Amino acid sequence: MMLRMTVNGVAREVEAPPLARLLDVLRGPMGLTGTKEGCGEGECGACSVLLDGVPVNSCLVAAGQCEGHALTTVEGLHDPSGALSTLQRCFVDDGGAQCGICTPGMLVAADALLRANRNPTEDQVRDAIAGNICRCTGYQRIVDAILHAAKLVAESQGAR
Amino acid sequence: MLESTAKRPRVAHAPAGLEATELVRPKTAVDAVKALAEAAANQRSAMVLAGGTDVIVDRHLLSVERAHTVDLVVDVTGIEGFRTIAREFSVDRERLVFAGGVTYWDLRQDPLVLQKIPMLAEMSKDVGAVQIQTRGTLAGNIATASPAADGVAALMALDANVHLLSAPMAGGSAKGEERVVPLREFFTGYRKTAMCPDELIVRIDVRVPDPATASVIWRKVGTRLAQSISKVALASVLEVQDGTVRHARFGMASVAATTHPLSQVQSYLEGRAIAAVNAAEVDEALARDIRPIDDVRSTGEYRMHVARSLVRGVVRRALTQAK
Repeated sequence: MMLRMTVNGVAREVEAPPLARLLDVLRGPMGLTGTKEGCGEGECGACSVLLDGVPVNSCLVAAGQCEGHALTTVEGLHDPSGALSTLQRCFVDDGGAQCGICTPGMLVAADALLRANRNPTEDQVRDAIAGNICRCTGYQRIVDAILHAAKLVAESQGAR
Repeated sequence: MLESTAKRPRVAHAPAGLEATELVRPKTAVDAVKALAEAAANQRSAMVLAGGTDVIVDRHLLSVERAHTVDLVVDVTGIEGFRTIAREFSVDRERLVFAGGVTYWDLRQDPLVLQKIPMLAEMSKDVGAVQIQTRGTLAGNIATASPAADGVAALMALDANVHLLSAPMAGGSAKGEERVVPLREFFTGYRKTAMCPDELIVRIDVRVPDPATASVIWRKVGTRLAQSISKVALASVLEVQDGTVRHARFGMASVAATTHPLSQVQSYLEGRAIAAVNAAEVDEALARDIRPIDDVRSTGEYRMHVARSLVRGVVRRALTQAK
């Protein structure tokens, strides 16, 4: 079946069974391999993407359910210029990534938080990434990176 | 633009038994039940899909041999108005009404819920984590009938009713046939319900606790705060007036084959003067209600210990608050 959806701002058409997992459609026919498969059962958050701006696990969504909707994957989080976003830059600078498997999902979950809440508390950051499991960092550096990004974005907007 | 040039599977396969499944995405609940009825009439197997948090995982993990083929999947996430939360009054009692597609994420944000029954928002925060809350629905958890579902325990303590829609009968209303089943009577066994395969949960209504006298509490015990399935969870609504327990309702998860209402504890408490409530007698009532089992998540003995301490805790808090 031909499925139509907007992915990272681009209208896409893809041939896939409607009950294929969104994750498999993104990584396979769409070639967007930034989204990772971790557990495949909705526990780890590595496959997180934004569906109409809201974080979902793409291993739990049927591709056909996204017909006509807008998706954002980690490939779509960069700045309009194509450079790393402030959030991505902070993950690099603050040591928010180690092995990297959780990173796309962490970025997606954190990006959704910062869009909805420009000045989150540490508790709100931890709640936003509670569904993203990381076995390397112990989370603190990820939390620091997200708080740092929030601060930088607030400062740059204040300066304007 | 960042497409990988590495070799990759160009084809996405569907989970076992869903390779050739037809997906329909009705805009109205009545169209959804018509699709279910039509499938049944044509001897086609059909399944309702909402957030997919159970269905897609189960299917993905099933072995090909065990996965029976599903001919039709009816996706209810496209039904218009299916995320509505409203207020209504019945017999002088205020109730909240959740449409069949309301998610845990909706419950966390909704002003009516936060004002009238904040316990539901608190419970929703404990369901998986954000990515599960944005997909998982109250109705989906009721239909799946897992005894470990947090949301179902909370709804049980709120005297929830489940509204089931089926397709219009010849000569009947074009809106379809609706019946209401109290949540307490909905579960007939482990993962078994009073629902027919051609029915759809279109609404769930709950009693708003009396703001002046109610102590409404949610407690969950799992391995960690996020992303854990409950070892034991308890929702309670206790209303104490003039020194007497007037209304007691519970919903307990993961301690029996179905979500449990703790009827013995309820009848022990209701009508009793708070001065006459005795912790040992509460324990005895609880022991008549449940006998939890050992499984992968915990032992029966530990569950009983936790259940006792949760029930004692909520009763103590309600009585202290009333004094």
